Amino acid sequence: MRNPYEVLGVVPTASPADIQKAYRKLAKKLHPDLNPGNKAAEEKFKEVAGAYDLLADAEKRKRFDAGEIDATGAERPQHRFYRDFATSDQGHSYTDNSGFSDFMDSDDAFAELLRRREEARANRRGQDLHYSLPIEFAESITGANKRLTLPDGGTLDVTIPPGLTGGQILRLRGKGAPGAGKGSPGDALIEVEVLPDRRFTREGDDITLELPISLSEAVLGGRIRVPTPTGDVTMAVPKGSNTGTIMRLKGKGAPRRGGGHGDQFVKLKVVLPKPPDPELEAFVSNWDKGREFNPRAEGAT
Amino acid sequence: MIMNKQEFLTSAGLQVQTLELWLDQEWLIPDQTSAEMTFSDTDVARAHLIRDLKGDFGVNDEGVDVILHLVDQLHGLRGAFEQLHRDIKGLSR
Repeated sequence: MRNPYEVLGVVPTASPADIQKAYRKLAKKLHPDLNPGNKAAEEKFKEVAGAYDLLADAEKRKRFDAGEIDATGAERPQHRFYRDFATSDQGHSYTDNSGFSDFMDSDDAFAELLRRREEARANRRGQDLHYSLPIEFAESITGANKRLTLPDGGTLDVTIPPGLTGGQILRLRGKGAPGAGKGSPGDALIEVEVLPDRRFTREGDDITLELPISLSEAVLGGRIRVPTPTGDVTMAVPKGSNTGTIMRLKGKGAPRRGGGHGDQFVKLKVVLPKPPDPELEAFVSNWDKGREFNPRAEGAT
Repeated sequence: MIMNKQEFLTSAGLQVQTLELWLDQEWLIPDQTSAEMTFSDTDVARAHLIRDLKGDFGVNDEGVDVILHLVDQLHGLRGAFEQLHRDIKGLSR
């Protein structure tokens, strides 16, 4: 695959407009339908189309220029050289101090420093291990105790604190890879993914729930059961409630950092009986006031 | 990232026989502290270096031995030098 800039015959600094112009010019000349007997033109056309595909997309072009993807648009693995790892702070099993061990035998400050380094290397801390753990929405609000099964068959007990949000990372000290020598073990880092719940949505510490109510509950009011992440509660719906009416259940949201809770907002949605009720139909058709009322009188919105 | 043997082979693009050979030569020293040997990103980068030496540069096994030994010493020295640099900076502050 050739460099897409060469394929289109433009300079790498060409503007999007120049690229488009160059593409159109070539495409017109090479289009297979305009060159029915010319096999080479088809190949060339494909190449030009591929190059344009890459360069016309600002994001892809940027990534190509940065060397992150190749001319076919495939991800180019980032080559990390050994030297990027070799001189790490904690040292690793390959580091070899024999090149200056003679300096370590004297008893000045420099030798002391080299000895400390050698010791740190022999007793280096274990690596941190990364895991991910999906939890239910309700568990993210109330907190939970979960058991994580590790790839090697072991288990890890994880306490989910109440009010956790998705993407948060829990650190379990000392539950990572074992250290070398007298080095302490690393930590287990657990990224928690909160599974979406089709009923609840969370915004900050507040939770929103859309709750269907019947026509009679909307018109006459009443007490209804409302699910919350911590269990059902009873809520009074006032007379004449409407679709879109928002009720607040104080303190039924997610726990706040530093005490207290957010609120749960209940968005009412009036649902007519299914299938349509003939009695209701008869009533509404004889209900003059209902027909006089125009909810769009003050504009459609 | 910590990986098992299979993941390491994929990541480093090595055949299992090649890995066995390199382990025998102690060119690669995986972590053996748990039941299964585990490899890190450092090992992958080191495997790439060995591959480059043997492939692109035409270095033979004895040569690789010598080069790795010198490279390891160089990095040991660089680490000590860096530490010294930091300590001196700390003192002068």
